[in-house]
Amino acid sequence: MAPSNPLANWERLGDSFYRKVPIYDAIFDEDVELENYIVAGAPYGGALALHRDDTKPYRFRDAQTAKSSIGIYSSSGKLINRLNWEHGTIRGLGWSDKEELLVITEDGTVRRYFGLYGDFTSFSLGNGAEEYGVRACRFWTSGFVALLSNNQLVAVSNYDEPRPKLLAHCPEGEVSSWSLIPPAFTLSRSVEVLLAVDKTVYLVDPTEAEDKVLQNGPFKHASVSPTGRFVALITAEGKVWVVSSDFQSKYSEYDPESRVTPRTVDWCGDDAVVIAWEDEVHLIGPNGVAARYYYDGIVHVVPEFDGVRLITHDTCEFLHKVTDVTEAIFRLGSTSPASVLLDSIDLLEKKSPKADENIQRIRSSLPEAVDICVRAAGHEFDAYWQKRLLKAASFGKSVLDLYNSDDFVEMTEKLRVLKAVRDYQIGLPISYDQYMRLTPEKLIERLVNRHEYLLAIKISEYLQIPADRIYVHWASQKVKVSTVDDEAVCKLIVQRLDGKPGISFELIAQAAYDEGRAHLATQLLNHEPRAGKQVPLLLNMEEDEIALDKAIESGDNDLVNYVLLRLKSKLPLASFFRMINTRPMASALVETTARGDDTELLKDLYYQDDRPIDGSNVLLSEALSQTELPSKTEKLHLASRLLVDSKDATVVLQQKLLSEASQLLKVQEALDKDIADRSEFVGLSLNETIYRLIRSGYGKRAQKLQSEFKMPDKTYWWLRLRALVAKRDWGELEEIGRNKKSPIGWEPFYNEILGAGNTKLASFFVPKCTNLPVEDKVEMWVKCGMIVKAGEEAFRAKDFNTLELLRTRASGPAVADIDRMINQLRPRK
Amino acid sequence: MAPYPGSDADYFKDKARRDLLTLLEGVRGKKNLVVSQDLAGPVGLFVKFSLLQEYGVDRVFLLENANVDSSQRNVVFLVHAEKTRQVRTVADQIKRLQRNGNVEHEFSIFWVPRRTLVSNAILEDAGIIGDVNIAELPVYFIPLEQDVLSLELEDSFSDLYLHKDPGCVYLAAKALMGIQQRHGYFPRIIGKGDNARRLADLLLRMRKELDAEESSGLTDLSARGLLPSADTESLIIIDREVDFGSALLTQLTYEGLIDETVGIKHNQADVDTAIVGPTPVPQAQESSKAPQQTSKQGQKRKIQLDASDQLFSQLRDANFAIVGDILNKVARRLESDYESRHTAKTTTELREFVNKLPTYQLEHQSLRVHTNLAEEIMRNTRSDIFRKILEVQQNNAAGADPTYQHDSVEELIARDVPLKTVLRLLCLESCMAGGLRPRDLENFKRQIIHAYGHQHLLTFSALEKMELLQPRSSATAMLLPTTGTQPGSKTNYGYLRKNLRLVVEEVSEKDPNDIAYVYSGFAPLSVRLVQCVLQKPYVLSLIRGGSVAASASPSPASTASPGWLGFEDLVKSARGATFSIVQKGDDKAIRARQTLSGNNATKTVYVFFLGGITFTEIAALRFIAEQEAPRRKIVICTTSIINGDKMMDAAIEKQDFTKTE
Repeated sequence: MAPSNPLANWERLGDSFYRKVPIYDAIFDEDVELENYIVAGAPYGGALALHRDDTKPYRFRDAQTAKSSIGIYSSSGKLINRLNWEHGTIRGLGWSDKEELLVITEDGTVRRYFGLYGDFTSFSLGNGAEEYGVRACRFWTSGFVALLSNNQLVAVSNYDEPRPKLLAHCPEGEVSSWSLIPPAFTLSRSVEVLLAVDKTVYLVDPTEAEDKVLQNGPFKHASVSPTGRFVALITAEGKVWVVSSDFQSKYSEYDPESRVTPRTVDWCGDDAVVIAWEDEVHLIGPNGVAARYYYDGIVHVVPEFDGVRLITHDTCEFLHKVTDVTEAIFRLGSTSPASVLLDSIDLLEKKSPKADENIQRIRSSLPEAVDICVRAAGHEFDAYWQKRLLKAASFGKSVLDLYNSDDFVEMTEKLRVLKAVRDYQIGLPISYDQYMRLTPEKLIERLVNRHEYLLAIKISEYLQIPADRIYVHWASQKVKVSTVDDEAVCKLIVQRLDGKPGISFELIAQAAYDEGRAHLATQLLNHEPRAGKQVPLLLNMEEDEIALDKAIESGDNDLVNYVLLRLKSKLPLASFFRMINTRPMASALVETTARGDDTELLKDLYYQDDRPIDGSNVLLSEALSQTELPSKTEKLHLASRLLVDSKDATVVLQQKLLSEASQLLKVQEALDKDIADRSEFVGLSLNETIYRLIRSGYGKRAQKLQSEFKMPDKTYWWLRLRALVAKRDWGELEEIGRNKKSPIGWEPFYNEILGAGNTKLASFFVPKCTNLPVEDKVEMWVKCGMIVKAGEEAFRAKDFNTLELLRTRASGPAVADIDRMINQLRPRK
Repeated sequence: MAPYPGSDADYFKDKARRDLLTLLEGVRGKKNLVVSQDLAGPVGLFVKFSLLQEYGVDRVFLLENANVDSSQRNVVFLVHAEKTRQVRTVADQIKRLQRNGNVEHEFSIFWVPRRTLVSNAILEDAGIIGDVNIAELPVYFIPLEQDVLSLELEDSFSDLYLHKDPGCVYLAAKALMGIQQRHGYFPRIIGKGDNARRLADLLLRMRKELDAEESSGLTDLSARGLLPSADTESLIIIDREVDFGSALLTQLTYEGLIDETVGIKHNQADVDTAIVGPTPVPQAQESSKAPQQTSKQGQKRKIQLDASDQLFSQLRDANFAIVGDILNKVARRLESDYESRHTAKTTTELREFVNKLPTYQLEHQSLRVHTNLAEEIMRNTRSDIFRKILEVQQNNAAGADPTYQHDSVEELIARDVPLKTVLRLLCLESCMAGGLRPRDLENFKRQIIHAYGHQHLLTFSALEKMELLQPRSSATAMLLPTTGTQPGSKTNYGYLRKNLRLVVEEVSEKDPNDIAYVYSGFAPLSVRLVQCVLQKPYVLSLIRGGSVAASASPSPASTASPGWLGFEDLVKSARGATFSIVQKGDDKAIRARQTLSGNNATKTVYVFFLGGITFTEIAALRFIAEQEAPRRKIVICTTSIINGDKMMDAAIEKQDFTKTE
């Protein structure tokens, strides 16, 4: 076959060239009347969805073929799947970049078909879609906006957790056309919509609708460029305007000289606009220059980010801007080094010495030339020219001493992959740039969706990409379609997937369970290495006990809590308890959650478990949170009754203290009543009660309480001391000081009273501290300001040095006294 | 050679900040932010309020105050998803705002650190899951310092030991996986304690699951799966439960004492302005000579306590006994620096001085704050009661017969010192001596309940559940040297004290030569255990009875005997499981890495304190780190910072019998 002319189909548009590459021919069967169909194409050379346009007249057919359906075709026209459609009028048909088909019906129901084979999820738009009805939808890669008949806009920006959101309220009026700017390209980070109403255009975002104040409407078409920077508008007079997306500046105007409004307006890359009628396509470049293409039949335009796919009955073409590298090589009369390099290949093949001459001539820019050849190879669709360019690169490379061949090698890899998927049997006419943006992983996903497992695995092995998903998908499919018995299927799957780590058996099991093969699902789950993954499915399968065990095994407390939550609401209490009983982590978590919000459950649990103290503690803490005294005592009573029967020493003590608590409360209530004091006794501890009684001068009652509750003397003395000091009742303290003995010694008396500032009374207690060493006592005296007394103390102990020290601190008459003592002590020689 | 530049602390801080800001950016326009109490502090550690404002945050509300209003359309909740109660509160508040009805609110919830199934279930029950945007903010480790990473889970201690809820272990594992994903697998995991074992098991399991998820049986494994790290030596996990005792002692380092007296939260201390003076006012205002505001009692001032304060970094890990000296020295140096302006002759010298002025002023300010703070602490430590408490503690720690201390404890009860303090003493005794005699315990129980109220029956049952305060099972059990009732069910301090030389009398506080300096003579067991792994020769020489001075300089540790080797028997006397796991990878790859990295590079040791760490222990670990300096780097990880009071708080019943009307 003769090589095609690389310049074929080039079209000059201003400074740059565009070319239309034919990719497939003989696409659709004769009986598909393309003009009667709505065609939506998935981005990145993805599948086409065809749906019969209801507004077009039907040729009478038999009932079978007239049945409404959505056909999913590859770009090469291969029917992948046909979805029967009997769910009402379709108002929106579009794709996400994961090649999920979205179908929106008039009543606001959204169906998301994933995997091309009819699996779907659905949700409703809400927000009044049902009442008003959906008029139209616009899509971007990961979401869409629906226009309701009351001019409301509903946006969905995430299909995994769809959350339809109303955009700002829009003005009344007839919407003549509209378009959207994807969130990635807006300042607000949310989708924005251009709504052509009456003569002007509104920019609508979630919070406001801004009037752009234009005069040339109503605009019949509006279209936003792939990067969201430009907008193409068709004015009322039928002119094409290209303006910036903030409507501040107008870049070009073009008059198509046609009375008929174009059917579609799309962008071809970011620099050119494609307007299409039934059988005519205009490509409009900057400054209003244009190229025109004419067709025999209807042409559908599928926009890509770097060009457009043109689908007619017989061909699939890709119209795009010629890249700089390609232009540099193939442009007529090009003398660029890369072009020279390509020429030398011809000369080389002819064994002409000129080849070397050429090389020498471009020697200085050879590395660059090689790079350009490599890159141009990527953009070429024809294998002949790909080879040719790579050969040129390889030749240039061989002349160079040092050249990093990574790019070259990678390019060959990429081209192999591209060639494989572009084959008409697969039908993915993906361009090099699209492939780069889509990533190999996603490409493989698309192959998997088409059930092209072998190719997918081959590619992933070739590119060293994890293949586990492919295997899982294959296995899930196997589970769905195979008719042999469970054992055999399981065996087959396990055998095939043996030794391939990363396989999520949970997903396969889920597929089996969805098919109603529960037994198979359980068998498959046993092969899942990740405990946590198994839990949700096990719960659905009502394998409660295993689910709980697996959750515990995973160590994830959230998972365990979740299982427990489900089980608690499902099982009778007794069996629930039985289940958690043998699992300490589970019962601990049940206890923790129950403590917060379900004390009854806690009581039952403790009762079943025979843990009386814990049970009574629950009641005790309930008693604490009661507001009224009688209910407090009642709860206390209940708490103590739980413990009555036990003989265990700690339980007995607990019980005793509990009844003591109610006894104390009773006493305190009486005190509150009797003593017309502002002090509230209820709720105080025993010590505080006594302390407060003494401080308020009810010593008798305090003493009675002491004996009633068998408070140790020591404690009581301490309380009395502190209370009396606080009361500044020096007389009483002195009275106590007349006692012979104190269970806490007298030192505390001294300290506390001194701390309260009464040095005189404090000094009263110094001589009573008989068991303290002399130095301490001296210090005590000094602290009371009684130097002389301190001196006497030291004198008695015959401590000469201390006396000397004391003298320095003494003043007034005390000096003389100290001197006297010193003299007395001075060794008589 | 590290593949990722920057320390872990910087990395995690950056990542947390970036993640939060990206999430905030996703909510369009102005928004009100509702933060739960336990997150407000940690968030403040990695992002400033002014920065939040730049990202459209108008006002910040605390979840617990339930006062978020409808002033903004957008309301963002930033809440822990692990706590069911908080999740419920969020649901309630959203419903309340929805009922208000004036404004169409747009709700977003950022779950920290992950979105949980339970939170989904709760929101679903409340019927609002469709009305809110849900995202997760995967913040696990929050760096407190360059060498301290904390999960800042305040409740982790009570969760773990009182409620036996291992949630924080799971989060810890997740956090450590974050480190592993950054550096490669810990070549070795060493640990002590049952929960530590659980954490290690989780780490192993997670690694397996990650392997299962990531690799796919293709030829080039190294491209994907993780390898044992070349710059990490090991992970040492210490379960708090192994050594409750040390944490119960009153901390005696400067930072520790601040924590004990005023409390430190997320690197900040709230101090009474009466102590440290009011917040310094910007100069402009000062010059206007506004009527001098008398610092009112009860006003609090936040003091930042971290490495940004140079003076504080000098002081923080020192024993409080020498803090005064250091402060004096610094004051004198500052003064002489300041005086240098008189000697400045030439204009250049003068300019130099002026350039340094701001630094001086800053230093001066910090000096004033710390002097005041130190004085306040000193007032406290000089008090009669503090000395009594310390005496009881030291005697218990030294292993003296605890019954001699009982009189002191009883006196403290009668004098109505805070309940926490008393309970700490009793728990300390119980931990150190393997329980109280049943008769004594009963006696104390009665006295405490009389003194502090009958609600504390609940407190006691909580303490018993945490195994902090227990009756001694059999009178002789703990007196026998090696065998407890069952080995490993309790930490045998008696035995370890002797065999690991926990008590080092002659330690110098000024020029410390053993970690014992932090408690003025008692080495925290938890850190000694770490030494058993990292500084074997040193600990061995200590045990052989050489005085501290003789063995002061730890000879270069040989890494030849890894793990617990040489100490297996000793370590058995501490509570819980003991383990040392080698994480193996592809041998060839390891060797390749080793040759690449060379052997003399600094290796990092991660020390994870599960259940909390005290500032004192951090100080001790830093002391070790300094000795190991060029060869090893120690990064301290923990679930939260704790101290004895916080431990008691977990148990103490907060309600009482007062009529609430």
